[in-house]
This record gives sequence, C-alpha cells and structure tokens, in this order.
Amino acid sequence: MKELPVRTEGAFAKRTNPLAHVFDEFVRFCRSHSLFMLHYCTGCGAIELPPAMTSRFDMERLGIQPMVTPRQADILLVTGYVSVKTLKRIILTYEQMPAPKYVIGICSCTVNGGMYWQSYATAKVLADYLPVDLYIAGCMPRPEAVVSGMRKLMGLIKTGKAESWKDYYRRYDHYLGNQQALFGERWQTPTDVLGEAQQYGLHGPETEGEHTALLQQVQQPLIPHRMRLK
Amino acid sequence: MTLLDGLWLASALTALAAGLFGRSPSAGPWLTALYGVQFLLVAFMGPLAYGADPVPASPAFSVLGYGLSWQFTALSWFFAVITAGAALAAAWFMSGAWGRHYAEQGGDLRLLQLALALNPSTMYVLLASRDFLSLFVGWELVSWASFVLMLAAGGVGVRWALRYLVYAIGGAMAVMAAMVLSHALTGSFEFGALAAVVPDLSAGTLWSLVILLSGGFGVKMGLLPFHLWQAGAYAETPGPGSAFLGAISSRMGLYAMLLTLFGVLGLGTLKALSIPWTPLEAHELLAWIAAFTIVLPTFTALKQNDARWLLAWHGIGQGGYMLMGVAMGDALASAGGLMHVFNHATYQAALFMAVTAVVYRTGTADLNKLGGLVTRMPLTFLVLLVGIIGLAGLPPMNGFVSKWLIYRALIDDGQPLLFVAAVVGTLGTIVSVYKLLHNIFLGQLRVEHESVREVPGSMLAPMLALSLIVFVTGLAPGLVLDWLTTVQRELGLAVLAPTLGGVERPDGGLDMLWVVGILFAGFGVGALIFLAGGRARTVHQLDNYAGGHFLTAEVRYHYSDNFYAGLMHRIGPWYRGSFQWLQDSVVAATDLLAQAAAGVYRVVQPAAWLLGVTVLALWWVAA
Repeated sequence: MKELPVRTEGAFAKRTNPLAHVFDEFVRFCRSHSLFMLHYCTGCGAIELPPAMTSRFDMERLGIQPMVTPRQADILLVTGYVSVKTLKRIILTYEQMPAPKYVIGICSCTVNGGMYWQSYATAKVLADYLPVDLYIAGCMPRPEAVVSGMRKLMGLIKTGKAESWKDYYRRYDHYLGNQQALFGERWQTPTDVLGEAQQYGLHGPETEGEHTALLQQVQQPLIPHRMRLK
Repeated sequence: MTLLDGLWLASALTALAAGLFGRSPSAGPWLTALYGVQFLLVAFMGPLAYGADPVPASPAFSVLGYGLSWQFTALSWFFAVITAGAALAAAWFMSGAWGRHYAEQGGDLRLLQLALALNPSTMYVLLASRDFLSLFVGWELVSWASFVLMLAAGGVGVRWALRYLVYAIGGAMAVMAAMVLSHALTGSFEFGALAAVVPDLSAGTLWSLVILLSGGFGVKMGLLPFHLWQAGAYAETPGPGSAFLGAISSRMGLYAMLLTLFGVLGLGTLKALSIPWTPLEAHELLAWIAAFTIVLPTFTALKQNDARWLLAWHGIGQGGYMLMGVAMGDALASAGGLMHVFNHATYQAALFMAVTAVVYRTGTADLNKLGGLVTRMPLTFLVLLVGIIGLAGLPPMNGFVSKWLIYRALIDDGQPLLFVAAVVGTLGTIVSVYKLLHNIFLGQLRVEHESVREVPGSMLAPMLALSLIVFVTGLAPGLVLDWLTTVQRELGLAVLAPTLGGVERPDGGLDMLWVVGILFAGFGVGALIFLAGGRARTVHQLDNYAGGHFLTAEVRYHYSDNFYAGLMHRIGPWYRGSFQWLQDSVVAATDLLAQAAAGVYRVVQPAAWLLGVTVLALWWVAA
C-alpha cells in the first residue's frame, strides 16, 4: 500500500487550540476507526468490494466491516447506477440509518449517470437525492481506489468535515423536491424525517417548504401496530 | 400425629374440598390456600434435608403377614418439596381467571381440580414408601392419579391418556415381576431383606432385577424406548395440569429407581455388573439409555409446531440428564442429576404456565400462528425467557449448574461419548427453545392479536415466583446442593461438598456468584452505554429493513413455518419414526396373538374348549 498516495492531512485547516475540542476529537477519532458499512450493491461496482474487504486488500484493518442492516450501519455504499425503482429503496434505507451517517457513491454512474446517461430509467446524479459525502469515480474503481476513498472518508470524519448528513435535515425540502419530481407526488417513506430533524436540532429554515407540505398532505400512516411496550 | 400424617391429611382434605367445591371458580383461592398448607407441612419437615431423623407415618398395615410402613427421609423430602411447590404453583395459576375461563369454555373444573389434588396426595404416599408393597401401592396410586389428570381434558387427551395407561400397566407388571423375584429370593417385601442378599445373587438374577426395575420405572420417566406416550399425554392436559405433570410427575420414576436400584441394590452392585463381551457395566448402560433419551426426544422437540408439545418433548429429554447424572454416580454427577430434578421442575412449570397464558389470551399454542407478543405480554415474555435460559442450561439460571456438574463429571470419569451426547442434547435444546421464544414473542405481531393484554395477576404471580426461584437457585445453587448432600449420603453415593455458589475444586470449580456477577457487570456496562448514549427513538415495526423493500401490514414477514430449514435439510431424514414403528409392531403382534387366541377359543368349538378347560381346572383342584 506504500505506493498509494493517500493524502488526508494537510488538506484541512490547522487547528488553533489543540485542547479546545479534545473530547469531540476523541469521539471523532473513535468513530472514524469503527465504521460499519451497508453496501447497497446496485451495479457493477459491487464486484470490487469482495477483494477490498477480504485478505488481499483487507478493509477491516482500517476498522471498516460490512453490516447487514441500516440500523447499525454508518456508511451507505451505493455501488453503481441507480434506476428510479432502486433509488426509492436507497432513500428508504438511508433514512433508516441512524445519524451520523455517510454516503459513498462508487462508480461513474453515481456521479453523472455514466454509461446510462441516456437511460430514461436511471437517476443521473445521486447527490440530487441524497447528501453524498464522497464519490469514488471509475468504471469500476479498483479496490485500491475504494480503500483510498475509505481512508479519505476516515480523514473527513476525524477532522469533523463529513457532515453532509446534517445537510439532509437542514435542506430536506430540497432533497424531497427532487425525489417528488422523480417519483411523483405521492412519494413517501415511513421515516419521520422532520421529527428526526427536530430531535437532532437540525431543523432549519430550509427543512420545511412546499414539498414537505405536499408530503404531509399525502402521507399515509403505517397501519396497524406500533411496537411499544404497554 | 406426625408431620407426615398431617401432610397426608392435608392433601386428602384438599382432594375432598376439590371434589366438593371444585366446580365453583371462586373456590380456587381456598384450594390454593390448602395447597399452601401442604407446602408448609413439607417445609416443616425441612430438617430432614439437613440430616434429621426420618419422619414416620402413624398408620402401618399388615397384610397376610407382610407389613406396610411409610416414612419420609431426605430423598422423599427432596421430591416432596418439589411436588408441593409445583402443586401450589399450578393451583395458584388456575385459582382465578384461568379457572373461570376454563369453566366458561365448557371444561369440567371440578374434575380438573380433583385430579390435580389427587396427584400430590398420591405422590406423598409413594414418596414415603419404605418396602416393596408400599412402593407398589403408591406407584399404582400415582399412575392412576396422573391418568385421571390427563383424562380431564377430554377430546384428543383421552387417546393419549389411554396410551399412557397401557404403558403404565406394562411398567407396573415389570415392577410386580421384580417384586415377585425379590420375594422369591428373600421371602419378604422389605428393602433391607433384599439388600442383605444382594452380594450373594448371581449376575443373571441381578440383571433380571435391574432390567425389570429400570424398565418398569423407566416407563414413567419416559426413557427410550418407552417414551412415546409422554409428550402427547402431558401436552394435551389442560394448562396447569400439564405444568404440574411436566414439572414432577415423571420424576416419580426416577425416585423409585433411586430407591430401589441405588438404595437397595446399590451403585457398587451396578458397577460390578458388566455386560458380557462389552466394556460396559450396568450403570453405564443406564447412562447410555439416558444419553439416547436426551438426544432423540430433544431433537424431536425441535420439530414440533405446538408450544406445549415442544415443552413436553423436552421434559422427556431433560429426564435423560437426571438419569445420566445419577447413573454415573460420583459426587458431582449425582448431585447434578438430582439438582436437575429440582431445576427442571421450576422452569418447566414456569414454561408450561407461560405457554398456557399465551393460549389463554390468543386461543392457540400453534407456533406458526403467533408472533410479536412481547409488546403485549412483556411479563409472560420475561417468564418464558427465564424459563428457556434455564431449560437450555445457560447461566445465570439454575439449569446451567446441574448441567455443568454433569458435564464436569463426565469429563472427569473419562466418558467423552456421553459428554458429547449431553452437549449435543443441550445444543438441540438451545436451538429449539429459541424457536419457542421467537415464534411466540418476537417478530411481527399479528393483526388479530392487536388487542391482546397481559394475563391477570393470579396467573402471573406463580409464574414470576417460579422464575425468581429459577434465578435465585442459579445464583446460589448451594441452597439446593446442600439438601442433596444428605440425599447422597442416604443413597450411599459419594458426597459433594458444596459452597453457596457451587462447588470448589482444586482443578477449577464453579462459583455462580462470580459467574452471575460478571454477567451482570457486562449487562451493566451495556446499560451504561445505553443510558449515556443519545436519545432513543421508537420506530414503527414496519419501518424496518428488508433489503430496501417497503413493508406493509398485509404481508407477514415473520418466518416461523419450517423454522430451521437448513438444519432440517441435514437431519430431517433421520426422523424416521423408528420408535413409532417399534411400538406399532408390538401392538400388531399383541393384536395378532389376541386374534389367534380368540380364533381358537371363540370360533373353533368354543363350548368344547370351555368344557376342556373346566375339566382340567377341576382335575387340578381335585389333585
């Protein structure tokens, strides 16, 4: 791995007072070294993940390992082109992840549609619908590139710069608008994003708008049973 | 009047009261109080477990010159305290809402109360027996009492009760044959007389005694291959009845075996009795039967789709651990085997009650029709959870201690194969009780169970009390092991030196106080992280991950049918029903013989045969 030019330091501003945020930094350090990723294997990029995770490149030495459910996952890997139908599932899965959560778009298709640019059924720019922290471009990116991207994300988390999940709450109306434009007006997920925005203290002026108003009109509650200890 | 007389009187009074007033559901609490009196009387005999002199019964009969006498010893007391506790719990469980519900459903509450009351009272007679005659009287009483209890259900239960009856009569015949043999050898029915001549008996005679006694009493225990009656008979009995039967009834077989095989013949005799051309001795043969009794019924339980049947099959399998421990006979193993009687009674009664509580609320014990009830019946869930941890033999519950003692002894005795059998049985238990817990309480709640509520206090209280016992005797097993040292001394076995937390040994003992402490320290760390972490959000059950699929209430995502499909793919072909085949062929052979006999004397000249038999009989009488 020596020959890989991985640069995470230097790209960020120098801290002024080293003791100011000791606890925050410690938490971020721990967090960056213990990442569970849910790989939502949508396209060809998924084929590069097994070598990246197993003994050849061994992502686990960085503290990154796969997780089977979004409820325990930190990273959502979207590994290729996303059709409209798939995108609904990705958004559902993303919203089920607890914060802080990070999205990595792998392959050119997540950046701009890639070779599916002309497809009527493919969402072109993933970042229109979800806050993407990091793209790993390539068709497909080699495991070295995947590992390099992961280290980049770790650096971002360590320095407190991987905060785009907050953007989803702060500008939910924007993301929801794009989702509604693609899926239609009756689009909804079971997750109460507005409630979560309140809970995380991220409810801002752009959280609600015309699109969330539309959502609240069409929202169907989940029936019939709530999991609650009586 | 001794305490034992008082106990008999109290239990007879309970049965009388149950027969007179049992029909009315409001009699439930009063009957429970009577069971409480029985329990207190047994508790007053507690010094027996710490080496006090035996408590005799005042009545003593003499029939044709043979005396019958009764007395309680430490062994009797150990089984009696379990019996009294199980009866009290079962009566308490049915004293309120359950009894009313049962009567409303058309059940005969009087019959059930009476049958339940008869069981402990007959067991106290059996447990006090001190010679072959009183043993046989008690044995028959117990058999018939449990037959009546199984019969109380009506319907399918009757078929199973009748099957039990056939097995029980067969077992009683074997026991009677052993008595006759013993009488032929000694001219008396006293245990002491037989024990005195044991050293002079030939191997063939000893083998006959061992086979007749272990086979006869083994029927009640459900030892292989006499186990086919038990699961159905116990499972189809009405709830509290099955809790009582599952807890203690079949252990009477172990008690009688302990009394005769170990108390009279002695472990030394069994150890000296080798099977020709094999390296096995008699006690190892028993241990091997126990091993098969552990493994096969446990894996049959894995296949059950009815919660009550699943538990009843486990009852058979756990009996194997008890016999295995006792048959190995050293201090650790016999203490483990005996303690397992107590442990099994506590958690099995709690488990049957929890399942009955589920049936009471939902109307079904079908594991494919339940799910998600933890949100509706959290306390029943807790009881079932504690119970299955005990049944699976995991810390911190008491089942772990007894199984640990047995495992440890098997390793010490150099019995790797028996050890593997015991562990494989435990594995099957863990796997199947998870199925029980998952299919009833975890997963998706069914729409029709939306309005299910927790069961009322009269049902919860005995369940929770039993769970508490399961935990406390797991935390401090020395409480029970202390009694067992006296029992071991009485049976002439090696005596364990227990501590409050388990046993101390130079090569690594067991201290449950530490084990439980460390376990809860771990939970404590987890709780600290949970409490110190961010605020939790409750999400809707259908807001769940299914590979990104949008879940709706119309489709069930709770997989319960064909639960261990992968495992069943491997072991499924082994369930060939060979024991069922064995039973069927015995039935067929008996049927054929009966038909042949009937054909001879009823079809071919019956009058001539009758005449011939009469003439022969007259000739015999005249001669």
